Amino acid sequence: MVRLIDLRKRFGKNIALDGVSLTIGPGEVFGYLGPNGAGKTTTIRLLMGMLQPTSGKAEILGRDCWHQPVEVHKLVGYVPGEPALYDRLTGRHHVTYCSHLRRRDDGKRAAELADRLDLDLDQPARTLSRGNRQKLAVVLAMMSSPRLLVLDEPTSGIDPLVQQVFHALLREHTASSGAVLLSSHVLGEVERVADRIGVVRRGRLVAVERLQDLAARSLHQVRASFAEDISASDYAGLPGVRDLVVNQRTLSCSAPQSSLDALLKRVSGRQVVDFECAEAPLEETFLSYYGSEYDGKDGADAY
Amino acid sequence: MLTSVLTKTLRDQARGLLGWSISLALLVAMYVAIWPTVRDEPSMSDFLDQMPEAFRSLFASSGADMSTPTGYVQVELLSFMAPIAVLMYAIGAGAGAVGAEEDRHTLDLLLSNPVSRSRVILDKFLAMSAGTFLLAAVMGLALVAEGRLVDLDLAVSTVAATMLHLALLGVVFGSLALALSASTGRTGISRGVPAVVAVVAYVVNGLAPLVEWLERIQKLSPFYQYIGHDPLRQGLDGGSLAISTTTALVLLALAVLGFRRRDVGA
Repeated sequence: MVRLIDLRKRFGKNIALDGVSLTIGPGEVFGYLGPNGAGKTTTIRLLMGMLQPTSGKAEILGRDCWHQPVEVHKLVGYVPGEPALYDRLTGRHHVTYCSHLRRRDDGKRAAELADRLDLDLDQPARTLSRGNRQKLAVVLAMMSSPRLLVLDEPTSGIDPLVQQVFHALLREHTASSGAVLLSSHVLGEVERVADRIGVVRRGRLVAVERLQDLAARSLHQVRASFAEDISASDYAGLPGVRDLVVNQRTLSCSAPQSSLDALLKRVSGRQVVDFECAEAPLEETFLSYYGSEYDGKDGADAY
Repeated sequence: MLTSVLTKTLRDQARGLLGWSISLALLVAMYVAIWPTVRDEPSMSDFLDQMPEAFRSLFASSGADMSTPTGYVQVELLSFMAPIAVLMYAIGAGAGAVGAEEDRHTLDLLLSNPVSRSRVILDKFLAMSAGTFLLAAVMGLALVAEGRLVDLDLAVSTVAATMLHLALLGVVFGSLALALSASTGRTGISRGVPAVVAVVAYVVNGLAPLVEWLERIQKLSPFYQYIGHDPLRQGLDGGSLAISTTTALVLLALAVLGFRRRDVGA
């Protein structure tokens, strides 16, 4: 559905996107993660035909995003990070205007969406709260039943209840083989809906992973206390075990499911006083694998 | 009114255009109201004769004669106030066409719909032109209707011709503003540059009879196309209409090309 081929974008001397290649299939939700300024929004604006690629190309269902914007926009619904609306127009006015521009009558579908999101379409846009502006942008993006939804940090500012409705809408969209590109700077926002995630950092895609695979590698926090002093060397070298700390009679480490058996056997060789094992949130697993690429803490030049 | 970019833009401008129309009708009424006093005061014409030639050249295109309705309207309204008003509107509308939507980021919303960039520019151009023609028409109507009240008699046909030329003057500068706004997205430049060009064009046309080298470039000035042939006496001039229309269309084409090539927003 979406195909990015070695996509690059330079603004003057600043390289915003440095060769990103990516495909998103029908029915798939792709979570696009990265710190602010890593290139997420640039990718999305290239996909929407707002920017001309410096090299490479972006395609949606085989149509070039820069050269065939009208065909592409017929297939795509877009929710920008900061939805801009016409202040003097009401929600319904926006629906009417966009319907006409799309040459479709989407009034009914829009009313239905607004109803589910609990949005009043008769208020002028300037009186809407940030959350309600987001909702209106979602209604405008989804009312034409597009094949692809492009969402730039869509859930910031939406309350949790509405977020549930929003996720349900996304599931319905993918159930009818629509695709979603969902950008965010935190995994927590996308982990419940995404099938795959990609991590972008300094304009490069540094990792793409199925969320299922990530979950399978999900780390468990293991702690054990022993009746006697132990030495770290007994536990080193176990495959998959990370962050091992041995302190006289206690041991702590994190390990994926696949390493638990071996670890447990090694631990039970001694007299155990206490044992704890808990699955860490996905966010922590993710950080431990992609931490430095993902949170951008080590990069002073993360633009 | 929300069926296309054109009607949406006109809807946005409706209040502004109403304000402009009322102001122009009042402005014309003011000039009309002092006409009887000026007509009965022969010293006004003497005053004009005694003016330095440069001033007279700038403010009274030709046949500066304040004692006839045509001469009066030409000096008082057509040579200065009317073009200023129409240009202010047209340049504002042209510069705001893309710039204002870009500043408020609504251009993202607009362009994420299946509407080509060319279509957007074309509709913005049509809206700006429609507004400019409307204001010129309001001014012409006000002039004829209000003039009747005080025997400021003007031929409807030549007033209409003059207003058509005036509207085209506005459209030319509005298109320049549109082309700049479409290619740069910067409202300031798109307003400022056409305003400066308009002042230069005005001075070139006004002082051309006095300065030899200006006379050679006078015909390049859109103001010459507007008033050089004395439309209030002579009516329409085909050559001037053709040149103004072509200029506007070339600028429109540049606006379309500029907008199609450019990164939006970023």
